[in-house]
Amino acid sequence: MERSITTIRFRLRKTSLALLLACIALSSVLAPHARAADQDNDRKRDKYLQLFVVQPYLELRTGAGRGYPVTQVVARDESVDVIKRKTDWYKVRTEHGIEGWASAKDMAKLQLADGAFFKVDFGDLEGFARHHYELGILAGDYGGATLIGGHFSYSLNPSLKIDLAASKFLGNATNGEKYEIGLNHVFLPNRRWSPFFELGTGIVHIEPRVTLVTPIDRTDQTGYVGAGMRFYIARRFFLRGEYRWNTVFTSRDDNEDIKEWKLGLAAFF
Amino acid sequence: METRTRRILLMRPLLQAAVVGVLVLALSGCQALRWPWLGRDRQSVEPLETEEQAEQAELDELDRPPPRVIDPQVERRKIKVPKIDDENFELGVTYGFLSIEDFTTNAIYGITGSYHVTEDFFLRADVGRSNAGRTSFETLGGNVQLLTESERQFTTYSLSVGYNFLPGEVFVGRNVAMNSSFYVLGGIGWTKFAGDDRLTYNFGAGFKVLPSDWLALHIGVQDRVFDSDLLGRTKVTNNIEMVLGATVFF
Repeated sequence: MERSITTIRFRLRKTSLALLLACIALSSVLAPHARAADQDNDRKRDKYLQLFVVQPYLELRTGAGRGYPVTQVVARDESVDVIKRKTDWYKVRTEHGIEGWASAKDMAKLQLADGAFFKVDFGDLEGFARHHYELGILAGDYGGATLIGGHFSYSLNPSLKIDLAASKFLGNATNGEKYEIGLNHVFLPNRRWSPFFELGTGIVHIEPRVTLVTPIDRTDQTGYVGAGMRFYIARRFFLRGEYRWNTVFTSRDDNEDIKEWKLGLAAFF
Repeated sequence: METRTRRILLMRPLLQAAVVGVLVLALSGCQALRWPWLGRDRQSVEPLETEEQAEQAELDELDRPPPRVIDPQVERRKIKVPKIDDENFELGVTYGFLSIEDFTTNAIYGITGSYHVTEDFFLRADVGRSNAGRTSFETLGGNVQLLTESERQFTTYSLSVGYNFLPGEVFVGRNVAMNSSFYVLGGIGWTKFAGDDRLTYNFGAGFKVLPSDWLALHIGVQDRVFDSDLLGRTKVTNNIEMVLGATVFF
């Protein structure tokens, strides 16, 4: 039987149609995955900040510290992905997949894709005025007993902070602990010396020492007003000293007034 | 004989008019030229705008966008700076032994947490718990009991400031290098022991190795010093602990 050209053409058309259909079917099956993979890659790429080296080179160390050796450099015009930060060091990944630690000082010289310089929070005097959290330890005197404590603050704005504190006091006659929450108002927050005023309340638990026969354990509510001074040392550190007037709302007829002073070292972040 | 001048003067009025006309035209041409002695006058007459106006014009010139050679159809990329993961907190567990003065040496286990403020300094809080054994006096004295079982429980709390020094690398075999650092620390806290809370000063040193960025292995020695009047007379006791620890950064 003689085959006409048209039939062949038709057959070809049929085959191509089938191929086309198969392609469409295949792509419809594969495409979502491919798209998902693309999105995944995009997300991964977006997850890390990409910075460009504009200085002659960027040194990478093996660890987050100036004592660790420099093993890699990133050349000008290459980019790095910022993975994480540890104190004043950033872990970055180069275009070639090499990871290392760069100092914050060097990182501040890198540029974002839009040409702006990368902003690094170094913890300077401005940071002392504006930050979110504070963490510190302090020691002092609470009505004649030695006081040891820690505090955590959250800044609502540069002047107003919420203060959470837990302390332990050890005296000759009594021991105890207290937990307090208060508001702290800082005057002149952007000065190296910044005074503050505070007001708060809490719970104090007082227990007599075993060697003495004194009243039983008791837990009372307490309120305080205080004033103090903050002094910025350097980097992220500052000193905090304060004097407080505490009133313990006892179940007895009279409230108890306790004077307290303390001095501590704190850091902001 | 008529002189040449006289001849000109005697010329016909028509010719005279033509000569005068040429002269006038030549003079007006001179007027159009810039003569140095006329220049000054002209400048004083000519300024059309004051200096302020000129400045304003110059500023306007600056404000005006430069002439566009190519109109770029590229949208400026908006950079969203993602939050960079901070790893300044360290939390972990410790286990080792504690030698309680006048008592035996026993196991101590604890929890430790640090906040690294800079690469050098950190703030640290520790809690440790141990059990005191029997004193030599109790062992020799037969039935003598200085403390009840619950009073033998030794719990210590401390808040310290630490300083990292001598950072470097340690090598395990041929292919593994791990970051390491020595640190010293000192602080204040309290110890609950023999039914009483005692103000305690602690100081010590440690060595840490970081197998990875987020994991640290420690070995540390600390002395916990407090006053004790347990044996009749108040004295300073030194309680030395040596612990191994594992911490993670987050």
